[in-house]
Amino acid sequence: MKNKKKLQVLKCYSWAAPCLLLILMIVIFPILYTGYISVTNMNVYHWSDFSFIGLKNYADALLVFDNGFLKSFGMTVIWTVVSMVLQLIIAFVLASLLNVKGLRFKNVYKTFLIFPWAMPGYVSILLWKTGMFNSQFGLLNQWMQKLGLDPVRWLSSDGSAFWCCTLVNLWLALPFMITIIDGALQSIDRSFYESAVLDGANWFERTFYITVPMIKPIIGPSVVITVFTTFKQFDVIYLLTQQVGAKTGADIHTIMTYAYENAFITNNYGYSSAVSIIIFAILIIFSVVVNMNPKEVRD
Amino acid sequence: MKKRIISLLLAITVMAGTVFSGCGSDTSAATDPNTIVIWHDKEDAVAEVLQEKLNTLNPEITVVLEKKSDLTESLKMVGNDPKSAPDMYIFAHDKIGVYAEMGILSPITDIIPEDELSVYMDETLDAATYKGEIYQLPIYYETLLFMYNRLYMKDDEVPTTTEELYTYMTENTAGGHYGFVEQHSTPYYAAGWINGFGGEILDADGNATLDSQAVIDALTYHKKFVDLMPGETEYATVNTLFSSGMAHATIAGPWMIPTVKENGMDVGVAAMPVIDETGTPIAPYMGVQGVQVLKNAAENKSEAVEKVLRVLMDPQVEVDLAEASGCAPANESCYELDEIKNDEVVMMMRQTADHAVPMPNLPEMDVMWTVLGNLLTDVNLSGNDITESVSDAQSQAESLIQSMQ
Amino acid sequence: MYKKAKRSFGLLILNLFFIALCFATLVPILYALSVSLNANNSLLSVDFSFIPKEFTLANYKAVFFDEPILLWLKNSLILAVVTLVISLGTGIPAAYVFSRKTFPGRKPILRTLILLYAFPSLLSMTALYKLLSPMGLINTKPGLIIVYTGTEAVFALWNMKGYFDTIPYEIEEAAMIDGASPVQIVWKIVMPLAKPTIAVTAMMVLIYVWNEYIFAVNFMTGSDTYTLAAGLYSLQATEMSGNWPIFAAASIVVSIPILIVFFLLQKNMTTGLTSGGVKG
Repeated sequence: MKNKKKLQVLKCYSWAAPCLLLILMIVIFPILYTGYISVTNMNVYHWSDFSFIGLKNYADALLVFDNGFLKSFGMTVIWTVVSMVLQLIIAFVLASLLNVKGLRFKNVYKTFLIFPWAMPGYVSILLWKTGMFNSQFGLLNQWMQKLGLDPVRWLSSDGSAFWCCTLVNLWLALPFMITIIDGALQSIDRSFYESAVLDGANWFERTFYITVPMIKPIIGPSVVITVFTTFKQFDVIYLLTQQVGAKTGADIHTIMTYAYENAFITNNYGYSSAVSIIIFAILIIFSVVVNMNPKEVRD
Repeated sequence: MKKRIISLLLAITVMAGTVFSGCGSDTSAATDPNTIVIWHDKEDAVAEVLQEKLNTLNPEITVVLEKKSDLTESLKMVGNDPKSAPDMYIFAHDKIGVYAEMGILSPITDIIPEDELSVYMDETLDAATYKGEIYQLPIYYETLLFMYNRLYMKDDEVPTTTEELYTYMTENTAGGHYGFVEQHSTPYYAAGWINGFGGEILDADGNATLDSQAVIDALTYHKKFVDLMPGETEYATVNTLFSSGMAHATIAGPWMIPTVKENGMDVGVAAMPVIDETGTPIAPYMGVQGVQVLKNAAENKSEAVEKVLRVLMDPQVEVDLAEASGCAPANESCYELDEIKNDEVVMMMRQTADHAVPMPNLPEMDVMWTVLGNLLTDVNLSGNDITESVSDAQSQAESLIQSMQ
Repeated sequence: MYKKAKRSFGLLILNLFFIALCFATLVPILYALSVSLNANNSLLSVDFSFIPKEFTLANYKAVFFDEPILLWLKNSLILAVVTLVISLGTGIPAAYVFSRKTFPGRKPILRTLILLYAFPSLLSMTALYKLLSPMGLINTKPGLIIVYTGTEAVFALWNMKGYFDTIPYEIEEAAMIDGASPVQIVWKIVMPLAKPTIAVTAMMVLIYVWNEYIFAVNFMTGSDTYTLAAGLYSLQATEMSGNWPIFAAASIVVSIPILIVFFLLQKNMTTGLTSGGVKG
């Protein structure tokens, strides 16, 4: 009996092995390696002859975590919350509307709505930056002028730059969210609605008592993953406002852009690895504190 | 059912097999002593001239010129690995310090005796020298130039001093038109003003020197010009304003000239305006483009490397590059040739080079670009207090340089 | 009768809403399209209109004939297909056992995997280089494929597992009693029911491979090994040599195959459980 159980476990692991092996190589190894680098003095001056220096990098790295870091951490939290709330609400509404019975061109709309997903991110961001927000030539200001309004420097003040970044991030992220929620909506058994309608439940009741609880476990993992991606988002904010040689004057930093400007540019791999490990630790603590663990249906 | 799965698995294996086998081939170039791989990030016109010249080594030596985006980052990663690294690369001189410290570069004098290098302009050799060793064979150099659109700015209207420029700007900046534009908050461009005030960004020992009075004066003086320019500092905006005729004059790199000429603009180049307060012209950075040789190649393929370098030392290469893309030759003797003497743009760069400052090539410069960029945006775009911003930037620079160690 | 009219009026409003929304979404893309078709050589223009004043296809011609775009397309296709097959091939069985079986280590593994997503990916490149280089996988497609499948594996595993959880177990139990092997159950029962999630996962993997350029630029040397995204990136990497209209044309060209695939996959995304199925 015991042996049979052991065999069963072994069988389970053998099914999962290829996948877990890949994750081990590509996801876990880099983390361990970064941990290793963080206790060495691998930098420009000791590129291939680096040696173990203990926790010195961590002592230095704590200097990065000053007021500027706290400010950018707060900013990152706001950024993540705002982005995620908007993303979930908008994606849910749109996906629900797409699933309205009788909407004939659903697939056409969906294809257009996910177009942003089909373009490499940096292309889209560059398009937004130069095509939309540019104060001299951007479409937005051309429209403003047609309406008789003064041109606006969209990206140069903190507040408006924040909303511009949020808008671009939404534009980039919504296609995925819509697809995920739409997929989840498909999995709900229609008969639930039918009986709910018979019971006299209105649209809101049906949404909050049937739809949301039913799709929650399915979209849970994707949402958690998106939260992490939003949290460590770099491209949108960096390329829109902070790129060296093309800064716009807005002083918005997330922890990633802050760490980039205060650690990664030093070419000191030991030091920046220590910063990364600390950020990783902060994120894990943060996600444990807010209990961000996808619930499983089966339990 | 099982059969279908098995056939699927088989299909995957076959596919994977073709992929795996189809890729081993391109690594062979790395070990072939007669193939030299050169990375570069230059415009096509430059690459074509170089490729054509280097093809004369065929069939004895095959030279592959590969355009590489993110060249500097890639080199940091693969520099030690002869299987993936190039044998040499063509880039500006300002990263020499980084790679020399990393130990992936070979001094050029290991291959070409030093006295043969005396044909090059002193500035270009100075730029290539790091800790007493010359790491780059210069090919051409570039400086920013004062350019104007003759449609708006007549030759006799070209400002000779910055105050004249300012007057011109106040008179001609209105309604979406600008008298003058530049990438005012981009370090490479703003450095010309700082240098013109006698300021420095990084001293010869690698210390940040942002908190000098000269830097403060330069930023203070420059600010009134910035106020008459658009809020964007990036290349696309400034370039388009000038090339579409919305801006009358600009300070930009020579690479812009072919584009605007193609658009039919009658473009003029002039000497940099003299800064009234100091009596020196705006002194832009000079970038020397040249070949740098990786250690592995110098050790294992020295013969082929030397032959390639000798081809690139031919002054005719530089003359052709000047014609193809307005590159200013690094070889002094080229300036006696008529083709070069008649080239307005190249001769203007030669003139600007007299007071241009070679970009620092120390590893510390890497962080200074970011710090200076922040300082410039703080002052020019966010309108922060100059003295305060300068001292913040100085302390940030010091701590970043500290943490490079 | 009245109700029907109200309903079709509602649908009309909804259709108008979606048309407006699609247009709003596409503005930046229409912008790129217009730039790519415009004979004036600039990304920026003072007076922009969506319909170019001087129409030209020269930029598209340049994309197809001056750049090795077909070669990049081939590279991207090979990478995308192989990555997709391996991702699903490893992801489905793993997601299945994590969804269906109970075994020691299951929960901690699942929890840890998702937390690992918090690691800043900026630094993983050097580490991956150090891993792949001794194995001789740098500058090869298998190297990139391993990186891509590994990167997407956590997502694939979690995403499909979440959906598998909602598929009732009873059907499988019935099949098991009938003597079906586990492989048959996954292949014949779970996969057809899980089509939407498999389609979404496939999309995700495909788009990731298609748009990824950082690994592609750094792990592959030489422009003949570039993928589409890497090639596109190199087209405008340096500001002096960047050509915006060609870049705009290329970015449109690159997006089209993904759109086609998406449109084709949509059918599969809508075949979920329908009414009457056994629900757990």
